Amino acid sequence: MNKFLKTTAAVAVMAIASMGMATSQSMAEGKLSVSVALDPGSWDPIDTFLVAWGAVGSNIFDGLTERDTNAKLHPGLATSWEVLDEGVRIRFKLREGVKFHNGEPFNAEAVKFTFDRLLGEIGAKGPQRANYTSVESVEIIDDYTVDFHLTQPDPVLLTKLAGYGAMIVPPKYITEKGEDYFNTHPVGTGPFSFVSYEPKVDLELKANPDYWGDVAKVSELEYRFISELTTAVAELQAGRLDIVEDLPISMLSVVKDDAKLDVVSTAGPTVYGLRFNTRDGITANKDVRKAIVMAVDRSTIIKSLLAGEAEEIASFQSSLSFGYDPELKPLPYNPEEAKKLLKAAGVAPGTEIQIDIRAGKPTFNEVVQAVGAYLQTVGLKAVIKPYENSVFLNDIVPQGKTGALFQQSWGGWTLDYDNTAYLLYHTGQKWNPYGTDAKLDAMLEEQRPMTDVAKREELLKNIAAYVADEALEMPLYGLKAIYGVNKRLEGFVPAPDNRVKLNTVSIKQ
Amino acid sequence: MAGFIVKRMLQAIFATLIVTLLVSYAIRLTGDPALMLTQGAGSITEADLARIREALGVNRPFLVQYFEFLRGMVTFDFGKSFLGGTSVGLLIKGALPSTLVLAFWSMLVSIMISIPLGITAAVHRNKMVDQVIRVFSLVGLSFPNFWLAIMLVLVFSITWNLLPPSGMVGSLSYIMPSVTMGIILTATNVRLVRTTMLETLNAQYIMVARAKGLSERKVLYKHALRNCAIPLITYLGLQFGGLLGGIVVIERVFNWPGMGTLAFDAVGARDYPVLQATIMVLSLMIILVNLAVDIIYGLVDPRIRTE
Repeated sequence: MNKFLKTTAAVAVMAIASMGMATSQSMAEGKLSVSVALDPGSWDPIDTFLVAWGAVGSNIFDGLTERDTNAKLHPGLATSWEVLDEGVRIRFKLREGVKFHNGEPFNAEAVKFTFDRLLGEIGAKGPQRANYTSVESVEIIDDYTVDFHLTQPDPVLLTKLAGYGAMIVPPKYITEKGEDYFNTHPVGTGPFSFVSYEPKVDLELKANPDYWGDVAKVSELEYRFISELTTAVAELQAGRLDIVEDLPISMLSVVKDDAKLDVVSTAGPTVYGLRFNTRDGITANKDVRKAIVMAVDRSTIIKSLLAGEAEEIASFQSSLSFGYDPELKPLPYNPEEAKKLLKAAGVAPGTEIQIDIRAGKPTFNEVVQAVGAYLQTVGLKAVIKPYENSVFLNDIVPQGKTGALFQQSWGGWTLDYDNTAYLLYHTGQKWNPYGTDAKLDAMLEEQRPMTDVAKREELLKNIAAYVADEALEMPLYGLKAIYGVNKRLEGFVPAPDNRVKLNTVSIKQ
Repeated sequence: MAGFIVKRMLQAIFATLIVTLLVSYAIRLTGDPALMLTQGAGSITEADLARIREALGVNRPFLVQYFEFLRGMVTFDFGKSFLGGTSVGLLIKGALPSTLVLAFWSMLVSIMISIPLGITAAVHRNKMVDQVIRVFSLVGLSFPNFWLAIMLVLVFSITWNLLPPSGMVGSLSYIMPSVTMGIILTATNVRLVRTTMLETLNAQYIMVARAKGLSERKVLYKHALRNCAIPLITYLGLQFGGLLGGIVVIERVFNWPGMGTLAFDAVGARDYPVLQATIMVLSLMIILVNLAVDIIYGLVDPRIRTE
């Protein structure tokens, strides 16, 4: 009951506060409620990789660069940049007149503090530092100019600067209040500022009237931690939530059938496929692999099992990814040709083929059932073998103990094909238990330090084409990012990576 | 009595040790927390993982980690969550009252329904009323609890918009979770009340009470019910333990910010400190309730007190 009284009191205080705000600022009105699947526990940008953090943190913090909903890079807290010294120095001009939520000024010192912290002792305890190891140091040139010194050219760094770990944090605030306080009382430069946080329950934010970009159109923003999606959808239907992210395919019809709600989707970063055991058995033969890919009608699977909320892919990357080639087409659905290839390769009809998957993923499970049925039509007998998640990820795939086919999903947040291709195809990588292709290794190594953007993109496209030609995998689909949204919202733009900025959203009266 | 309590306390501590040891060991078999934390990372190397493992302290031998957890328990320092480093003690302090309040209301709902129903069934033994009550309790036993929860949400939140579908926000939000839990418990409790009541009603002292002309009401509620109390209290006490287990599912469906939600998230994130502490507190609760039941026996039944 005590908690109830506290909540009531907090709501009352907030109601009064927002009334005060409404008179001074007629633009910002109303409260947005958004569900988040997991409480990250800390709002410090360097503590986490959880998409839950990204969804919230992107509205509190800003990075030097910013990625829009089409995955294109824009200036953020840096207004411009110059790549110097053959890629090992980048000079940033910083935005002037920006203040943190606590009133502290944003300047070169804040940038240096942020990266010293990330690359120093505190960052070493967290997972984010791993993405920024190419940064050697940050040098202050003047109040609004900094130089990033790199150990080696890092073509993905500008994208990474829009990532969680590179969000700029307030030096004075953290030094005075301490790390633990900052974890639960975040201060950034973003469109919303911190009000209150109750672990495992909710996080309340309010509009930042001094935001350097578009000032928020709602006065309050509440994130509620709801781990069960069915529950989140019930809250959405009851009108107590405005946005639910990552709607599962199985719940689309519930939301679509509700007159008050909309399903909004956009191309997402996560791709799904089945990879081949290229070392043993019939799938060691390239023609057999091609036959298996051609035996499966992927576009029908997308239409009928995924409600059209996915895109066909020809390589293991989404259409948003750097290195994506719209010209590269997937192998066509052609069961006759598949049969011919299988026959030529001497695969007897009725040969068993094992597909290893992760248990407890209902949608992908259905997709694999369909794949199995298609394989049946060309005379292969598919055996689907589900594994518990961590067994699959620790013991089966990296140890090379899979069947002929195994599930792979990949959601590289940097949306750069390098991040996927290198880890999936380079010899000796954890997620590459079977392949040892010197030519592919050479191509993967060659593009890594390239600073010539166009040349690197070309090479990435070549890698994708090579992998497709070798049929190292059966690319299935790229799942869209799907949101359930209350129709009372205006200006909601779905983001591919869960990082929806909510300053553009308003509430229809 | 004092010796008895000390003995039971020692048993309780031993049981808690076994439970936490098993849980701590089992969760470590299910995966690497460093991998879970870096799932969204693009390019994570073995060196990065090693660095994170060291920061979390999970690179040390299991027994070292376990003894550190025990040491923390003694000093009431449960450590920090792997997710964001929140103090585990703080998380439990927030979650435990929510779970206990929900358990309390569920028990109350169940007692309020099952005692009158059980007595009615016993009194009208083998008549229509009895059959109806028994069929309903059978139905109640048979369906899964989350199904009932989802149905209630569908009717009361989505269709009629009367009650909040989830969360712990104001007194209205207590209704659906406690009723769901309460009804599940009622199913077994009705049968229990009916059976014990039937046995009691056959006793000679009931015949005497009736013979001396007491009203049926007085016979049932004063004489019979009091004598039913012992098996009922034993059973309800044990049930409280089971209730804390079952509440995990209900808490998740209703997004109740209690121990169940805490444990569930901790399993998903391989958050060892939170999971260990949650399980330990829950098992301590169950053991303490059982102890309390033994003590209450003596209070209710003078025969046990004098023994």
